[in-house]
Amino acid sequence: MSHERFERPTRFAAGEESFGGVFAPETLMDNLFALEAAWIAAGEDESFGAELTRLLETYAGRPTPTYHARRLSEAWGVDLWLKREDLLHTGAHKLNNTLGQCLLACSMGKKRILAETGAGQHGVASATAAALLGLECVVYMGALDAARQAPNVDRMRLLGAEVCIVEHGQRTLKDAINEALRAWVTDPEAHYVLGSALGPHPFPSIVAGYQEIIGHEARAQFLSAHGSLPDLAVACVGGGSNAIGLFRGFVDDASVELVGVEAGGVGSEAGQHAARFRGGRPGVLHGCLSYLLQDEDGQVQATRSISAGLDYPSVGPEHAALRAAGRARYESATDEEALAGFKDLAAREGILAALESSHALGWVRREREALAGRSVLVNLSGRGDKDMATILEVLAPDQDGEGS
Amino acid sequence: MSASRLEAVTTRLAQAGECGIAPYVTAGDGGLGRTLAVLHALEGAGAACVELGLPFSDPVADGPLLQAAALRSLDSGTTFEGVVDLIGRYRSAGGALPILAFSYANPILSRGAEEACSRLAEAGADGLLIPDLPVEEQACIAGAVQAADLANVFFVTPTTADARIVRAAELSRGFLYVIGRTGITGTRTELGREGSEFLARVRSLTTCPLGVGFGINGPAEVAAVAPHAQLAIVGSALVEHVHQAALGSSPDQDIDAVCARAAANFLTQLREGLKP
Ligand SMILES: Cc1ncc(COP(=O)(O)O)c(C=O)c1O
Repeated sequence: MSHERFERPTRFAAGEESFGGVFAPETLMDNLFALEAAWIAAGEDESFGAELTRLLETYAGRPTPTYHARRLSEAWGVDLWLKREDLLHTGAHKLNNTLGQCLLACSMGKKRILAETGAGQHGVASATAAALLGLECVVYMGALDAARQAPNVDRMRLLGAEVCIVEHGQRTLKDAINEALRAWVTDPEAHYVLGSALGPHPFPSIVAGYQEIIGHEARAQFLSAHGSLPDLAVACVGGGSNAIGLFRGFVDDASVELVGVEAGGVGSEAGQHAARFRGGRPGVLHGCLSYLLQDEDGQVQATRSISAGLDYPSVGPEHAALRAAGRARYESATDEEALAGFKDLAAREGILAALESSHALGWVRREREALAGRSVLVNLSGRGDKDMATILEVLAPDQDGEGS
Repeated sequence: MSASRLEAVTTRLAQAGECGIAPYVTAGDGGLGRTLAVLHALEGAGAACVELGLPFSDPVADGPLLQAAALRSLDSGTTFEGVVDLIGRYRSAGGALPILAFSYANPILSRGAEEACSRLAEAGADGLLIPDLPVEEQACIAGAVQAADLANVFFVTPTTADARIVRAAELSRGFLYVIGRTGITGTRTELGREGSEFLARVRSLTTCPLGVGFGINGPAEVAAVAPHAQLAIVGSALVEHVHQAALGSSPDQDIDAVCARAAANFLTQLREGLKP
């Protein structure tokens, strides 16, 4: 059956401005209409919701705890709390989304899913959900990312997924999404499980909808442990799924400052970072209008980050709207600052964080004087096992692990 | 001239019950000078109009051959202004083919649709095709294409619902771009029964001239499409043929001339498919 229109708003509005939309080739439009219809139907279907909740609670390990990091709080002089998405099955928040989308795929009668991955966490979470639900799974991954996140490539293959290494472009997340979109055009019988809150409508809304459980849980947990709301909620922003998941829990609480932390890479010149809100301007990539790192001619610029999951030139459109509305602000942390955050968390709390999540910690650490005495809830979006090789390479000469 | 130059060609073809060939060329593949030579050669060989592709870094609707051409073009330093200049040079040298600029949304929108459309039209482009701008987003450019008097052309595919085909046809000027099958550019295909049924469905929904593309490699495919279309659109096969000619040329040859000849020969072959 061919569809005629979208039922839900395709844009995220902020006053006169709006972001998102459906900038997709006509060859994909019917897939997108069908996906929106399935998603709306699933949202109204109690048995779908019950099955997703069952899997999240008994398989994935929800709720994840909100942990008061007392030793690190003392070291930094900030009242630091961590939402422990690193403890979710497969080691990152990505599984919240892949369980939801793979159930959607099943509800549409699909037998196969396609996915892209940067850090490999979304690829692993897709392969996991596919194995669990009996779906075939093909994951596209840039060659550079496959090299720096090798353990995740092995995990995907052991879970039965086919991993297609993408050799063109910058060979990172952007190029993997290009390939996955092309694959979906030629394989409309598959469902494309987009891994972050970006892409053409309805993806940004679907992904945020499956991730907002992070923020809702964290709000209730923080309130019951602390008796009030946090002063700040902080998350790293790659495509923006873990951050929007956290922010949606607090967006109506005007007293809670929302801070997204982008990858500052190794410098502020073009090509040296992935700080879209600092170096970018509105533009269209991968189906949505948002902030985009691009040259004056509208060509997409190269990005750089120690963290594969943040190494992407665009950002989810809901973040662009939150920023335009003045509801959230976006900062960045450099590779070095992220590593300092990583080291302090390991040494004081016995937790190895993913390099992505370490950017949120790195920002708090850098701003610790300004934040002195305030309560800060950081979304610890994933664990760091996948990053061991990268981290050991940089930290080898200096292993004292103490904050300075 | 703008939109009316394209409309004049497609209306004449429709009235005569004929089909013409609409070649696609990636601007700046091998340098803009080569593209200029290729445009004149295609005109000499009897093309009906030309789609001039502005290269984009992330062409998600394109297959490997056109992706590679876009990257070659960007590597050779092609810019928006360079393409505008190329169109102007083609016109000042007497080039008369209707030109449809083919660009992904970002290079147009990030420049500002008004500015981009007026620059293209002033230089002598006649239409605009944006593969990642479906009718749902046409408001982003509607005012700009109208002010610049460019013919906006939208796409339909076998999975497009009837109501959206009607809408795309209403919004299109010159012709409606019919993608004969699902898929990305450059995948070999036959029209097949489903393809003919789809073209018949489109024909029953609109009187707009039809340009049919994706997957046309040679005269046989042109012959299959011709009875149902006013334009047979040929992209990847031509771009790759010209590129191979460049690779196969010897150092003492004028490569631009070699490519121009290759383009003309390829078009002449394709036109064999138009003979009754
Ligand atoms: C642990 C972790 N955190 C964060 C991200 C960034 O993605 P997003 O911004 O969608 O949360 C990734 C992406 O791979 C990740 O693996």
